[in-house]
Parts: sequence; C-alpha cells; structure tokens
Amino acid sequence: MPILEIQGLNKVFGSGHLEVHALKDVSLTISSGELVGLMGPSGSGKTTLLLCVSLILEPTSGAIALEGKAIYQEGWLAGVDVSRLRREKIGFIFQTHNLIPFLTAKENVLFPLHLAGCTGSEAQTRTLELLNYLEIAERADYLPALLSGGEAQRVSIARALANNPRIILADEPTASLDTVRGKKVMEILKKIAREQQTAVITVTHDARMIEGFDHVYHLKDGQLSQTY
Amino acid sequence: MNLALRDMKQHKGRFLSTILGVGLLFAIVLAMNGIYRGNIFEGTSIIRTANPDLWVVERGRGGPFNEQSILPEFFHYSVAAVPGVEKASPFIVYAVERLIKGKSRRFTIIGYDVFSGLGGPQAIYAGRGIWQAHYEMVAHEKLGVALGEKVSLGLHTYTVVGLTKEAVAPDSEPLIYLSLPDAQEVLFQRDNEEIRNQRIRLLHSLTQRGLSQEQAEKLLPDLEPDTHLVNVILVKLAAGANSTQVARHIEKWLYFSVYTTEEQVQLILKGRLLQINKQLWLFRSLLLTVAIVIVSLVIYTFTMEKIRSIAVMKLLGAPNRVIIRLVVEQTLMLTVTSFFVGAILMNNLHQKFPKLVLLTMGDQLITFLVALAAGLVASLLGVWRALKTEPALALGR
Repeated sequence: MPILEIQGLNKVFGSGHLEVHALKDVSLTISSGELVGLMGPSGSGKTTLLLCVSLILEPTSGAIALEGKAIYQEGWLAGVDVSRLRREKIGFIFQTHNLIPFLTAKENVLFPLHLAGCTGSEAQTRTLELLNYLEIAERADYLPALLSGGEAQRVSIARALANNPRIILADEPTASLDTVRGKKVMEILKKIAREQQTAVITVTHDARMIEGFDHVYHLKDGQLSQTY
Repeated sequence: MNLALRDMKQHKGRFLSTILGVGLLFAIVLAMNGIYRGNIFEGTSIIRTANPDLWVVERGRGGPFNEQSILPEFFHYSVAAVPGVEKASPFIVYAVERLIKGKSRRFTIIGYDVFSGLGGPQAIYAGRGIWQAHYEMVAHEKLGVALGEKVSLGLHTYTVVGLTKEAVAPDSEPLIYLSLPDAQEVLFQRDNEEIRNQRIRLLHSLTQRGLSQEQAEKLLPDLEPDTHLVNVILVKLAAGANSTQVARHIEKWLYFSVYTTEEQVQLILKGRLLQINKQLWLFRSLLLTVAIVIVSLVIYTFTMEKIRSIAVMKLLGAPNRVIIRLVVEQTLMLTVTSFFVGAILMNNLHQKFPKLVLLTMGDQLITFLVALAAGLVASLLGVWRALKTEPALALGR
C-alpha cells in the first residue's frame, strides 16, 4: 500500500534572475515496508526533497499524499497540522545522531512519546522495548556524550521509531560511521522497514549501501530518476 | 521530564556560577533597599523618640533638624502659658566632634529639661536617666562608653549614668543626652582668650561712641552674647486640647512656626534626606536593571548553545509552548535561585554594615516580585531566538 505519493513536485527558491529551481516535477511513490535510497551529487535537491517530504518546507507546486490522504495540493490543505503529522507519522534519523545532549538515551526516546501525549508507564515500557530492539538497553541511562557513534545512532533510530511512524527519513545515517557499523545500521533500517511495515527513505552518498535498498532514486539538477 | 532542569543539571558549574554572580547583584539591591529604609529610620528616629505633640521653632524655619532654628530659652514660659498647653520644654540639639577615649568622634548632643521636661531618653537599657542638674550624661551604645565612665566635654567631666540604643542623629551619629545648661555650656563654651578679646573689642567700640571707660565697663555684661538659646520648644498638650488651634495661636501671638511630629518627619524626608534617598532609589533601580540584563544575556547565550537541539525538537514536532517553557523555566529558575542566594547573604550580613541596613519582609517580597517579572522580560530575548530557529537547522541547513 502506498504510504507516500508525490506528484509533480516543484520547489523554486528566490525570484527573477536569482531563481533556483531546486526540484523539477518530481514524482515518487513509496509503499510500506520499502527501504528506498535517494542519491545524487551535492546541490541536486536531495535535502530539499527531504525537507518537503518531512513537511518542513512548503513546495512551490505539486501534490503530496500521506497514507492515501492528500496533505498538499498547490498549498497545504486546510486542517492539515504539519507539526502533528511530523510528530505522529514521520521519524527522523540524522547523519550526526542529533540526540539532545542533556537528556539520557532513554529520555531522548521518551521525548517524542511525551510530545505525542504518551506518558507514564506506557511510555517507559515502549522506550525499553525500543532500546531492547536496537540492542542498546544497557546504555539507557547514559548521556549521548558517553555513547559511541554507533550506539548514539541506534538511540537515534529508537527515537525515530517511538511513535510508530509510517515514514522514516534518514539523512545520511551511515556517513559518520565506519563500514561495519554502517552496515549494521542499514541492517537495522531494513529490519524496521520489514517488521514495522514502515517506509524508510534514506538520503545517502554511500555507494557501499546500495545493495541494501529495495529501490534507488537518483536526483540530478532537481530531476528524479529511478536507477534501481 | 523537565527539559529546563535537565539542561541545568548537565551544565551545573555554569549555572551555579551565574547564580552566584547574579545572587551577589541581588544582594546589593536588597542592601540598597535596606540602606534606604535605614536612612529613613535613622533620619527620623530622634523625632519619633522625642515625639512631643508640637514642635515650636524659629519663625519661617523648618528646624530644628532640617534646618537651623534658634530661640531664646525663656520663650518656653510664654508657650507654656498658651491655652491648651500642659507642658512646654526647651530643647537643644547640635552635632559636635570631640575626643572620646583618645579618639576623635562625631556625635550629637541633646540638651533637655531633666526635671520636668520632654525630649529625654526613652528606652534606657542600662543604668538610669539624668537625675542631677549637672555633670551627668546618658549615651548611645554606639559611642562605646561604659556605665560609670567619665567623659570630658568642654570645661567639665560628665559621668555616664545610662546607656540607650533607641535613636541616633539623622546622620546616624550616636546621641549624648545632657541637662540643658550643660548642653548650652558645651555648645557656647569659648576659649578664654577669645572671651578677653571680645571684651576688649566691645569696650573699644563703646568708648569710640563717646562713653567713658567706667560707663563702658558697666554696660559690658549686658552686651555679651546670650548663651540661653535653644533650638526648639517641645510642647505637650493638655487633655482634650485641639493641636491645630494651639499651633495657630502660638504662630499668631508668639510669632513662631509650629509643627506636629509627623510634619517634622515630612520636613526631613522632603528636605535633608531627599537627595540621598533619591540617589539610593536610583542605584537600586540601576542594579536591578543590570541584574536582569545579565540574566537575559546569560539565557540568550544558553539558548544559542542549544539552538541545534531546539531545531531537533521542532523537527520532532515539539510545539512552540515546549520550547518557550524550556527557556522561560530556566530564566525563572535562575532568577529565583539567584534572588534567594542574595537574600540569604544579605539577611546574614546586613548587621556588619557601618550604617543601619533595615531589611523588611515587604521590601524583600516586592523586590522578589519585581525580579520575577523582570525575569520573564529577560527570557524574551532567548524565547525570540528559540522560536526563530528553523527545524531545517537540525539537518544542518
């Protein structure tokens, strides 16, 4: 079932002779359970596409539907609460984990749960479940500064999964990891996609990870093509 | 999960040193409050301690504390004869500097009618009041003299028969109570050489006007300066007397100015004490402003250091109220704990100041509320910066 459908998406920055067409007529459909790679050189529009899909950046034109419901059609549709959608439907994994430094690993995972209104023992149980799933439970009470890169990235993944998102957006999740840890992270993402039936969209430069993806899309000068 | 507390726990050292620094500022603000109150208290204590029904002073003057007032002593008989007056008592007050126990000390001498009069020491905590017409004194404990000690003033020696701590002079100097004649003698006592010179000048002046030497010498005693002068006549009204009527009568028929105790207090507050009070008020306002500016800049800096985390929170869907709460709670915690550090410090140290620092619960409560409100204002800069942060910053853009 399609989780994310993008039709004819355009994003233009600036105007007149300073106009930059970052996305040109991008169309994309991603189904639940898929692990999708998005590749391209710097300045190709990968981040802009990620920002539009994550509902942070408003496109210039086009259409976006999430779980079959239109949320953008030449403008955000009335009644669409982008903050709530981000909170409940989308998970983020960053290149540099971006854990909140003054919260422990457990508290970093609890944070999005609290934002979604899940508190108390229910939130604690869900957090421990996720930390166990990512095999990082023994480091639950550690601050991010005391975690290794791989451990921090796993906590970041646990945080992304906290509210059972339908889509996970991973922005170069293996860039700051070595090959072994990078492969481990890709395995985890694949496992999540399959087991949680979540669509995982990964922006990456890392050609070593291509074989792990179900589909690979290539962006060049704002135009999308499927290469795999 | 309280984000503000978590962040403060993570940066304990920095927050503690900020709290200490701002706490010291608040301590100074509270000290200024106390100095201001102490200034008013000490400035008016001698007035409130004497507390007659009326103060009769030289016409057109706001004396005897706010400005000079000099009256012939005998006028207290005229005032006593006014209908409605039960008692009228001469009173003298002036500041001197003399050697006490080998050290030069400033103090204020109060001369009063020790047998029937008003204006004497009210709360003697050691010894007794003055019982003799001469050579006894009651001293304020700040002077550092002991009961039975003998103090030289002018030509004579006075025995300390009582100690008090209830009132000081408006300039915070200690008081010495003497009988009226003793106080006048100390005030008007002149060098013998000066007295001789003055007599020679008077004699010369008289003989120049055509008087013989013998005639001039006869007239001399009447022309020497009168030392039976006082600064004010204190009045106690008879039961049922109307103070306004009595005051107007004295003003009209005896040609003096008359004030109630409350009017005397207002005279000194709006006169002699006005500028220093304004200065203190200005200083405490400035200090409070500085404290809040510092808190504001500290919170702004802390917010800037967390800007990426704030971007991540927004990206994760945190509503603005979560971000605002983080910044505002930190500001308020910083402000409140700094205030309490300052309050604890000042409440334990205020007695070590050379002048009275009068800390009142009312002042501290008002300063606390002002600090709280100002803390909220201080958080605005940090809040503005945090809300301006784009979630895309979390993706490094």
